Amino acid sequence: MIDPSVIRPEIALDDFLPIFLSSALAMLFGGFYVGIYTAVKVKMLKSWAMPIAYLFWFLTAYSLYIMGSLMHVGEFTAKALIVSMIGYLLLPHAVYHMQHQVHEENEH
Amino acid sequence: MANKSVWSDNRFWQRTATWVTGFAAVLLIWLTFDTSAQISMGTDEDLKQGVTKRVPGPTVINYKIEYLMDAKRGHEVPVIGGKNAEGRSAFQEKEKFFGRDDWTEEEAGALLHLGKLGSQAKNCMNCHTLLGNGAYYAPDLTKAWLDPAWGPEGSLQAMTGKNTKEEAMAEFLQHPSQYPTHERMMPNLGITADEAKGLVAFLKHMSSIDTNGFPRNFGKIQGAVHGK
Amino acid sequence: MASNTLNESKQLATWYFTFAFILFGAQLLFGLVAATQFVMPGFLFEILDFSVARTLHINALVVWMVFAMFGSVYWLLPDETGINTIGIKMGKLLYWVFVAAIAVVVLVYIFVQVGPADQTTIWFIMEGREYIEAPRWADIGIVVVALGFVANLFLTGMKGKQTGIVTVLMADMIAFAGLYLAGMFFTDNISVDQYWWWWVIHLWVEATWEVFVGAIAAYGLITMIGAHRKVVEMWLWIEVAMLFGSGILGMGHHYFWIGTPEYWWEIGALFSALEPIPLVAMFVHVLYDWGKTQGAEEEAGNPASVINNKPAFTWFVLNAFGNFLGAGIWGFFHTLPQVNLYTHGTQFTSAHGHLAFFGAYATILIGMMYIAVQGKNNIKVLKNTKSSIWAVSMIAGGVMGMTVALTIAGYVQVLVSRAQMGATWAGYFDGQEGMWFAQGMDWRLIMGLVTFLGFALLAKDLLTTGKNPVHER
Repeated sequence: MIDPSVIRPEIALDDFLPIFLSSALAMLFGGFYVGIYTAVKVKMLKSWAMPIAYLFWFLTAYSLYIMGSLMHVGEFTAKALIVSMIGYLLLPHAVYHMQHQVHEENEH
Repeated sequence: MANKSVWSDNRFWQRTATWVTGFAAVLLIWLTFDTSAQISMGTDEDLKQGVTKRVPGPTVINYKIEYLMDAKRGHEVPVIGGKNAEGRSAFQEKEKFFGRDDWTEEEAGALLHLGKLGSQAKNCMNCHTLLGNGAYYAPDLTKAWLDPAWGPEGSLQAMTGKNTKEEAMAEFLQHPSQYPTHERMMPNLGITADEAKGLVAFLKHMSSIDTNGFPRNFGKIQGAVHGK
Repeated sequence: MASNTLNESKQLATWYFTFAFILFGAQLLFGLVAATQFVMPGFLFEILDFSVARTLHINALVVWMVFAMFGSVYWLLPDETGINTIGIKMGKLLYWVFVAAIAVVVLVYIFVQVGPADQTTIWFIMEGREYIEAPRWADIGIVVVALGFVANLFLTGMKGKQTGIVTVLMADMIAFAGLYLAGMFFTDNISVDQYWWWWVIHLWVEATWEVFVGAIAAYGLITMIGAHRKVVEMWLWIEVAMLFGSGILGMGHHYFWIGTPEYWWEIGALFSALEPIPLVAMFVHVLYDWGKTQGAEEEAGNPASVINNKPAFTWFVLNAFGNFLGAGIWGFFHTLPQVNLYTHGTQFTSAHGHLAFFGAYATILIGMMYIAVQGKNNIKVLKNTKSSIWAVSMIAGGVMGMTVALTIAGYVQVLVSRAQMGATWAGYFDGQEGMWFAQGMDWRLIMGLVTFLGFALLAKDLLTTGKNPVHER
């Protein structure tokens, strides 16, 4: 007899698709977040688009949450994911701030 | 004119890049030393003393190899020479390999050497995967030695008309297109009888490597499963 | 371009680009052979088997990219350093040595294919290690050629103006050449073999090549839209820090299952999760500089486009996006160990490989070819043509189509062959026979043909640019 727990994979068969989709969407939404943020800052988009950028950040974090729970990631990975999401929220602000300063110093 | 800030100073970022790269590289090198020690090949002495190595010595071909769930690690691990009380390798139970279970360290080493060279000279990796790396045109070979299809009741062994797993595999490797198992066939690569023996030894040895549970559930389910 | 005679370094660059382009075509042709074999297994059986076609497919890929990379450096060196490239005679000689060596290796692959299980095969026919199959004699030749190239770069960089871009390239190219040495030995221990094999493969494509792309993108932004050098170079240094910071230890994601200890799970998971961030940054970089430069021009009352090479810029933008999509998204969704246990070694990897190599590297190198065509023909503003637009659409659409088809096939493989049947021989073929898998392979072949037609149009466009009157001179 084979112990049934051996046969069943840690990830339920039905969970594979949501995992792939949520992790792909996490990346895609993440790209939209910084993309829209930057586009608004350099005035390629109007400033009303900014809340949309933050909405995408939220969707990124939510997708990662879904992915992490379906995958049953360990405690370490869960913490790493949370930290990276907070870092990711701040990242474009910091980068834009620096770039802006360099521009100011050099062109005006 | 805004104030000069360290954050907008190229030299600051150049140094940051250098330090980050250097730190990551040093860490990788340090980990490489640790990993290299852990994946160095074991010896015949290790097997006789019951020392578990991630990559056992070539004489592992004298032993029976299984791939069983380790409750503590939460995945399957190779079990060599039968199980002991804790469910780990006992290094006791032998298994004949081409009629012998007393291959010396030199003989087994030479066989493995020939097999590894053969795996490269025949370009196995551009159809198959080894340890999951390679091409995806043919089955993964990581645990091929343990595939039930090559076992006593397996279809592949029956097809070749041989009585043991190793002879069946060696026969197939020498005349692959005589034994079509699928519309997609293995081509004849001019593998000699000696080379085939070496390749089978290489496969048996590879199945004894501790791959952290890859592949999962290998050979646990036989017969029909519901595909998509 | 002030003078009519092409700088010698740039001339050598055009040689490199030309041969790269020929190999690019060979890559696509052998890819089509291999794709056909998935659909019709009897195709060229025991004449040019899948293993041979695939060896040629991936080797041509690597080598054309290396050629185009060398070409890109020879092209930008005089612009960046302000002097003529030093040692150009040696560079030209090494070019012919390189071309001749590749011709011999390819002929041996096609006509000899495999050899007996001994060292002569490893030295003269094939090493049988994916991506670096080239026999040992050719390895040594490649190292010699690469060192000659690095010498040219260093001598020129140290004598002329050493800009940030040149500094990054110097450091990057020496690492690039040095890492190849990690793939030049034989061992009986397959775990040790794979451990060092990844040093070449991973540290090339997920570290040094990515940094190279960062440097080329920086050069392109300055050349094509007149972006501000100081801003661009600062971005470049930040990107180098992020790429090497995440990429070097990101190696961990290849060490989950090859016999290496379990601690690589945590290291691999953590640094793989960081790896997409520099790719996002590179994408934003292009957006930022484009927006800023165009904005500044418009404020100055000049609404015309700042872009002086439309096709090249299109390919550069596609690079920024494709790098993120192919390496970032398609890499991330199967990289964490919990999922990689089931996806490792399936068509998922192949899907990722196709989109990432295309998005991250092919795009920007084609962009550099357009920059070279512009410079060679003294064109002030290079415009889009019908064929340039069709070429980029068909190639990008074709590769994307192949990627989606392979992803669907990979999904079937994960569910059937891996999660349920545990990667046995029978499990493998059960997965291959799934209807979705088979259709995925059909679509991959169709999309491969679309890509190839796009390639033909690209060739036509690049070859006719010199005589096309639509461009501003």
